[in-house]
Amino acid sequence: MENIEEQLRETVKKLLKEKKVDLVIGYSKGTLPFHSTPVFIADEKDADNLIFDFTCGNNLAKYLQKSKVKNHGKIGIIAKGCDGRSIVQHIVENQIKREEVVIIGVHCDGVIDIRKLEEKVGRKEILKYQVENDKIIVEGKGFKKSLSKQDILSDSCIACKYPNSPVYDVFVGNPVPIAEPRKPITNNLESLSSDERWAYFEKEISKCIRCYACRNACPLCYCEECFVDQSNPQWFGKSPNLSDTMIFHIVRTLHTAGRCVSCGACTRACPTGVNLAPLGIRMEKEIKDRFGYTAGLDTEATPPMADWNEEDKQEFIM
Amino acid sequence: MDILKIKKDNLKQFLEYLAKKYTIFAPVEEDGVSSFREIEKMEIGKLKFDFYNTDKPPKDIFFPQTETLFTYDENSQLSTLPQDSANNSQLSKPIAIFGVRPCDAKSFTLLDKVFDSEKYTDTYWKERYKDALVFTLACNNPLSTCFCNWVDGGPFNKNGADIFLIDIGEAFLAEPCSKKGEEVIHKLLLQKAAGDDLKKGEHLKREAESMISKSIELASLKKSLDSFWDNPLWEETARKCLNCAACTYLCPTCHCFDIQDEGKSGKGKRIRIWDSCMFKLFTQEAAGTNPRPTGKERMRQRIMHKFNYLVETIGEFGCVGCGRCIISCPVNLDVREVIKEIKKIRN
Repeated sequence: MENIEEQLRETVKKLLKEKKVDLVIGYSKGTLPFHSTPVFIADEKDADNLIFDFTCGNNLAKYLQKSKVKNHGKIGIIAKGCDGRSIVQHIVENQIKREEVVIIGVHCDGVIDIRKLEEKVGRKEILKYQVENDKIIVEGKGFKKSLSKQDILSDSCIACKYPNSPVYDVFVGNPVPIAEPRKPITNNLESLSSDERWAYFEKEISKCIRCYACRNACPLCYCEECFVDQSNPQWFGKSPNLSDTMIFHIVRTLHTAGRCVSCGACTRACPTGVNLAPLGIRMEKEIKDRFGYTAGLDTEATPPMADWNEEDKQEFIM
Repeated sequence: MDILKIKKDNLKQFLEYLAKKYTIFAPVEEDGVSSFREIEKMEIGKLKFDFYNTDKPPKDIFFPQTETLFTYDENSQLSTLPQDSANNSQLSKPIAIFGVRPCDAKSFTLLDKVFDSEKYTDTYWKERYKDALVFTLACNNPLSTCFCNWVDGGPFNKNGADIFLIDIGEAFLAEPCSKKGEEVIHKLLLQKAAGDDLKKGEHLKREAESMISKSIELASLKKSLDSFWDNPLWEETARKCLNCAACTYLCPTCHCFDIQDEGKSGKGKRIRIWDSCMFKLFTQEAAGTNPRPTGKERMRQRIMHKFNYLVETIGEFGCVGCGRCIISCPVNLDVREVIKEIKKIRN
């Protein structure tokens, strides 16, 4: 991993030096174990702060929009497979132009889900850790435990089919062999009845406190005015009651249909551990089945929700 | 005041006794999320107190995320106490909150200064808080994210406690810290703590205080911020912020709210809901303008409100150092780093 980080830093330094980019969006070490933090690098010497490992769970495509990077010239961005696909979606949706970004693809073996990790140690505080091959040895007050990396990977990463950014200008490390999901989706939700699934989601969504961390961490949630923020007139209630909250999550899922790349950033961002990943994963499958489309692979694609085809399935029309 | 002892074996009885006069709130963990909620009698035996900070702060006991202020019906009179509100049961008996951490207990005193001051009285808050009984449970094991000691607190701080508990293993030491607390506890004929127990308590206190992160002098922070309005740090800090409300909703002292009417055709209710300065809508004006148009202004507001404005209005920082905002931030925006950076720039 250090080797990749070294290469990454050198790559970024070179890009900055050669003025191929003015600002690079990446990750640096966070203040807590297992936390990275997004970083914006304009100066070559700051490139040494860059890291890349399984703690880099934020989807950086989020920062390609709005005022965050505007007026900063050409942007370089470090991209896992999912970040890369989100960037492609931004291009497809005319939010940015391909030539406006330099995509730095990076070898990604998946990122961890801190909540899973906390559960593995009985929610005790982890103070430090070290990585030994596929094992992660975590330590806290009065305990030391060896964990398998696979057990704490984010669900979205376990199901990931596209670990490499589909489009890139530079690639750091070797690309992960494509089209080999690390493990097939073992989503037992699929086998449940619709009532049971509804009960599952009711339970999950009831934990939601409406902080919108999911939406705000989502690279594709870039609406200038989100439907939940419509205030003139107000579209629906703002309190965390199950009905309103459920509508929020359902509409958000529908609105990201054909756009969501199942990066899992929403789930990882949630402070109360609402598992939203199955919604995205299922919606991706639905879009693939119905329209033969996979979001974020082709910058020239027409998004299925912005298109009509005679062949489109229409069995739902009575 | 004597320090007493509640044996853990007798805790159930103790709480059952308390439940006769109080609605009890205690920490529970459900679906991986810990919070304080009303405890039914039969649940008392199942309570666990070996948690760190609860994931959610206890502020919603006194200041619910949503509450009905009144219902209205154009054909009848205005009703000030909503019939359909879940708050009714809470109001029928005073609230006892058991096992709240010192930082959270302190947060109640800060919120009380905001909601019940000489200038303003918020009856909804006051009704719940004025008779409430707060059992603070000392932190024997502060987290690495705890920084209560930076903001005039500490793992054994008694501010806001009616009864101060220390977990010494087989029992809790219980020290009454207010008249209210003394009255309740003296009716119980509890055993007095022995010298050894007190020593154990002292030892735990010293241990906890040595465990917590080194304090940083913040006496000049308020003043530094007086002239920090235009500093480029705000923009820099705000850059990675996603402007979600994880930090503010999980903050025990954030108390901004929105008021809305829900209803139609002459009937409905007026509710208040937590709001967050992190949201664009927070300062959206009817005319279409927004005085805090970008993340920079919103970040500045969050920090300034806690470390400058509240110092001016209530005389204390609006932060109790619980560290929840640090743990919950999806991009690891650590408020301690922001404070350190401000200090560095000003020194």
